[in-house]
Amino acid sequence: MSDNRTLLTDMAAGLFADLAGKPFDVAWPQVAEAGFSTLLVPEDAGGFGGDWGDVLAVLRLAGLNALAAPLAEPVIAHYLLAKAGIAAPEGLISIAAPGSRVPYGRHAAAVVHVADGTLSLYHADACAFDEGLSPAGEPWDGVTFTGAAAATAACDIDLQALGAFARVAQASGALEAAFTLAIDHVNTRVQFGRALAKFQAVQQAMAEFSEEAAAVDASAAACAAALDYGHASFEIAAAKLRMGIAVDRAVPIAHRMHGAIGFTIEYALNHLTRRLMGWRSEFGGDAFWAERLGKRVAGLGGHGLWREMAARTDRLVG
Amino acid sequence: MQIFPLHPFRPEGDIPALRQQVRDLVAQHESRWPIELRANCWFSFDEEFSKALGQAGLLGMTWPKQYGGHERTLLERYVVLEELLALGAPAGLHWIADRQTGPLLLRYGTEAQREKYLPGMARGEIYACIGLSEPGSGSDLASVRTSAKKTNEGWRINGQKVWTSGAHKSHAALTLLRTEEGSERHTGLSQMMIDLDTPGITIRPIIDMTGTHHFNEIWFEDVLLPHDALVGVEGNGWKQVVAELALERSGPERYLSSHMLLVALIDAMGPEPDAPTAQLIGRLTAEMWTLRQMSMSTIAKLAAGEDPVVEAAIVKDLGNAYEQALPRAVQAAVDADLAGKSDLSRLLSWILVASPSFSLRGGTPEVLRGIIAKGLGLR
Repeated sequence: MSDNRTLLTDMAAGLFADLAGKPFDVAWPQVAEAGFSTLLVPEDAGGFGGDWGDVLAVLRLAGLNALAAPLAEPVIAHYLLAKAGIAAPEGLISIAAPGSRVPYGRHAAAVVHVADGTLSLYHADACAFDEGLSPAGEPWDGVTFTGAAAATAACDIDLQALGAFARVAQASGALEAAFTLAIDHVNTRVQFGRALAKFQAVQQAMAEFSEEAAAVDASAAACAAALDYGHASFEIAAAKLRMGIAVDRAVPIAHRMHGAIGFTIEYALNHLTRRLMGWRSEFGGDAFWAERLGKRVAGLGGHGLWREMAARTDRLVG
Repeated sequence: MQIFPLHPFRPEGDIPALRQQVRDLVAQHESRWPIELRANCWFSFDEEFSKALGQAGLLGMTWPKQYGGHERTLLERYVVLEELLALGAPAGLHWIADRQTGPLLLRYGTEAQREKYLPGMARGEIYACIGLSEPGSGSDLASVRTSAKKTNEGWRINGQKVWTSGAHKSHAALTLLRTEEGSERHTGLSQMMIDLDTPGITIRPIIDMTGTHHFNEIWFEDVLLPHDALVGVEGNGWKQVVAELALERSGPERYLSSHMLLVALIDAMGPEPDAPTAQLIGRLTAEMWTLRQMSMSTIAKLAAGEDPVVEAAIVKDLGNAYEQALPRAVQAAVDADLAGKSDLSRLLSWILVASPSFSLRGGTPEVLRGIIAKGLGLR
């Protein structure tokens, strides 16, 4: 854990709570100003010098507050550029992973693209965006590179996987927030003469909800530990897939608990559940990660799967 | 409120070497194990293997040396357990003694009880079962009626226990009894360690739906126990039992009961499965991997002296759901011949039928979710 984590999370918690419900043009300048983009850039290169545990903590808070601004994207972009020794341009830098659209592409000053072992930095004037929106209404833009890269470098990092980790981290926060909304609702909403929370059927559903939030929390933290160790491809594939399962099970419960109240645009729940439903598909959906992980496991063999999993946690010890 | 902050699992000692020790031991014995014995393997019996584990110092691992234990850590013991389960090693004979009865005697038992039972348990030679359920007392354990009456000669036991796993293979039963006549619910209950060769005890088999003799009913007819059969404090039985049950909810056995079927599926589909099969294997792996992180986190919390009641119930409920869904998912995806002779066919057929039991032992989903809801402040 980085020494500055408490400081970092206190700052993020305060800022993101202030920005909850604020649109991109209000939220992004403040997120940029706070300097989160250089979270993973080493201190001697002018960054925060954080680790992946810090990234998880901050992204979790962003998800918890349904932050309507890019955060994972510039953090990952600045990290990759610093590793490649390429100076980061001013402004928002987003990421283009193979097969994925570019979050907030239309607002980006530059885009980092990684494919076939090469990192390329494109300025906005070298990008043509096919504008689209995620289910949460966030820019999710296809990109065609129409000009030359401003810089390139060899890069063996799986950008798709880092994006997937970011979505797992954000989902862990969004699930907690949706769960908290549901708890508050069932504890206060009275029907049939008693609080909804007094009904066993409601208690059972809420317990199931908590289990799914717990699974995403645990898998996100295990990914961060593996990323800090240096290799997390197995963990991220499993965690992104588990996140998809959790969204599948938990989002319907969140809405069931709230009835029609949770289906309005004014009520906060939709900002969380629409994001969760979108993140499930972003940076590789269930089928993509299931096939990738399944093929890898098939290559390990029946007992090889267990040996691999055990070795991957044993390496974190000592 | 973060529901499941991951607690790091950081055992001391040479963990890879400990895993290898278990794997080597399994390799020495596995030739005599039919594939069905290796599924749901903490309910399968092999006396020779239990004794071999004892000899290797892998039972009673955390207990003091003076009682035959090895003074190793809870986390080292966890590593041994998960290796045994992942390899489908029959661990049922010593399971209860090693997991529950031994630790409970260490916590509440008298010096004489510890000396009498623990060294044999740690050698893999003395086995125990747990007398809790009764014909009228299943999930609602506080309603037990089997009675122990204090007399000058000792305790007089009368009544009946049921669903007692492994009683026919056990030397002793740690039994919950009503020691205060006329007491209600959680009061007036006590635990006693009952040697099963005591006159007046009759053990009858109950054959389960897999055709296996695992369950038993135990009849007590004027059974006379010495006064020092009492474990812990008279009247404190409920509290002791609840603590015992909470400790057993988060272990690797809560998600690995079907693991050998996943092993067989992967091997049967080969190194280059088609996309749908790869996706199925990927999904099952993702769930199992996540459960392992959660289970390890929970034992690490226990080892650190915390009391993760909600986390443990979450691990068990999610884990049981996974290990029960696994055979159904394999059946839905693979055109398996359930009467076939392949490992995959035999395991699938066996585990499909055995799997309803996975979410019964240690609390049904409804009971567990009630515990979780209470922990979340909903009751």
